[in-house]
Amino acid sequence: MPILINEDLCVKGCTLCDQFCPGDIIYRLDPEKTPVIKYQDECWYCGSCEEYCPTDAVQIVFPDEMLHSRTQAESLFGNSLEETKSNYEAPSKP
Amino acid sequence: MITSRPVGQILDTDVLIIGGGVAGCLAAIGATEMGARVAVIDKGGLLERCGSIAAGVDQILAVAEDGPEWDTPDYLLQHIPKLTDYIVDMKPVETFVRGLPAMLRKLEKLGVPFRDPSTGRYFRHRTFGLPGEYHIDFDGSKFKPKISRAVIDSKAEIHLRTMAVNLLTRNNQVVGASAFHIRTGEFYFFRSKAVILVTGDTNRLSRNSSGLPFDSWHCPYNTGDAQAMAARHGAFLANMEFTENTVTPKGISSQGTNSLTGLGAHFINAKGERFMFKYDPAGERARRDILTSAIVSETLAGNAPIYCDCRHLPADILARLEETLGVDRPSLPRWFSERGIDLKKEPFEVTVSEFSSRRGGVYFRGSGILIDEKTATNLVGLFAAGDCCTVSGGISGAAVMGYEAGKQACLFARRNGAEKAFQDREIEMERERLFSPYNKPGTISPREYEDQVREIVTDYIGYQRTESKLRKAIENLRSLKSEEHSIGARDHHELMRAHEARNIREVAEMVATAALERRESRGSFSHFRADFPNRDDANWHKMIVLKKRNAGYEVDYRPIGLQGSPGDKNNAHTH
Repeated sequence: MPILINEDLCVKGCTLCDQFCPGDIIYRLDPEKTPVIKYQDECWYCGSCEEYCPTDAVQIVFPDEMLHSRTQAESLFGNSLEETKSNYEAPSKP
Repeated sequence: MITSRPVGQILDTDVLIIGGGVAGCLAAIGATEMGARVAVIDKGGLLERCGSIAAGVDQILAVAEDGPEWDTPDYLLQHIPKLTDYIVDMKPVETFVRGLPAMLRKLEKLGVPFRDPSTGRYFRHRTFGLPGEYHIDFDGSKFKPKISRAVIDSKAEIHLRTMAVNLLTRNNQVVGASAFHIRTGEFYFFRSKAVILVTGDTNRLSRNSSGLPFDSWHCPYNTGDAQAMAARHGAFLANMEFTENTVTPKGISSQGTNSLTGLGAHFINAKGERFMFKYDPAGERARRDILTSAIVSETLAGNAPIYCDCRHLPADILARLEETLGVDRPSLPRWFSERGIDLKKEPFEVTVSEFSSRRGGVYFRGSGILIDEKTATNLVGLFAAGDCCTVSGGISGAAVMGYEAGKQACLFARRNGAEKAFQDREIEMERERLFSPYNKPGTISPREYEDQVREIVTDYIGYQRTESKLRKAIENLRSLKSEEHSIGARDHHELMRAHEARNIREVAEMVATAALERRESRGSFSHFRADFPNRDDANWHKMIVLKKRNAGYEVDYRPIGLQGSPGDKNNAHTH
């Protein structure tokens, strides 16, 4: 769950987190009920909901992939490196 | 499952603005000032918080004509060819740069506080390799709300949580767009006399260190909607080969890290060496694309992990750093604290972010829809501004060019007469196309489709481009296009993601096509061809322009037109 909402602090009737979320992730269709984090894997982790909540009821929770990334940096640079590594040289300075 | 949909509405306006960020708001202000009826569409839920800098911004590129020699449009214009590695379209850039002093005053009138309240002066500094102190530091937390207020007061019609999906054309003229509400599913058929595209850059294009596609450096909800829509109707797009990345803490793709190097942080490799001076005399203060390329080079040389080291910084600078980390991305300080990283005591690991298609890491040259000095595209009735077009330059670029687009679109709309009539059958067909991802059994999800795009972009476009890899990328992306009709959506929100996934693939194909064409390297890793590792001004001092053909894109060139440049000799030709 990328976003935790403290039901005790959350003010009924307020829909700021729903409106501020740039990704249409947080839904508070019934202002009397706790907001629902509907599309959890689409969170930007931008923190707008947490930042603008008037009662500090929202908390961003970073997932393990973000806190302890195990990605090999080389895997982000592209496939078939063998093909290019041999003639690789640093790009010339402008 | 969606069982029923509201029938929808036909809406008429003079100027339809697709995108409610900085460029879209200034376009609305420009068009309404001249008396046009205006409608603004955005996917976001609140105009005050729509767009890339919705959460805040801390600096603006400005020419104030405040005294110093460098503080004039003419001085800045002279330096732009070099700043853009000589690939730039100077005519529209002149509109941008010459519009800067007036825009600064206009934004101040709208209530944006650019002056430091304690001194009453602008706090200016030099950054991004610019030849003067062009950036003003300011408290931009209310920047977007202020300019949005002016749009709301202007009586422009505002359609929030609304995604535009297709442009409407009549006799080769753009006369509106189809759109839908991402929560209610209501269908909108906008008929307008002119259309302005201002939907920003393209993200979610490639893999990153967390493996979470929405954890991106730039706004992940900017998905090249304008670029893809315009391309499908034959608009010209240029500079698509130039992509951009940034250096980011490993695990979170975040903005805000350039403030670290700007304030004096060092990069060190696994051997403890401070390596940046091997790559640029400015060290860690080098241009962003040079920082990224150095990190990639060090990693490939076996010197990873790479760290960012702040331990040597004086206490007041460290305090300032910790204060400013959250300005662009409010959650970044929390990420550091949850990781238990104390900048005073230990270096933290950095790597490169995913790709973004925006401006290849340099101001003034955008990767996107080709515009002229009046923000017009090659399609009659279609205008573009901001990060989706070929002139991109932060919030001031978006503001100046957006405002210009608003005025130009209004002038065009006045000459253009009445809205065009459409037959019911045409409207119904448009509606069917828009909602086609619904209720399909055995289909693939937008996420699965997009994941395939990211694999292709990461593995076959990548940082070290070669002809064989790029051909493979194009082949795979085209074969993915043939599966486009299989993307399914279970609700209105997912329908938005389905259309976004199509748009992201379209942009990826444009990037691969232009990158294959440019058989040289330019701008560090914004376009590095391992099979053509050097810059080749004699042959490639020109813009690559793409135009949609049945399968794929046709490539054309446009000379840069700089006096005495090697590109002057080249006339555009198709091949």
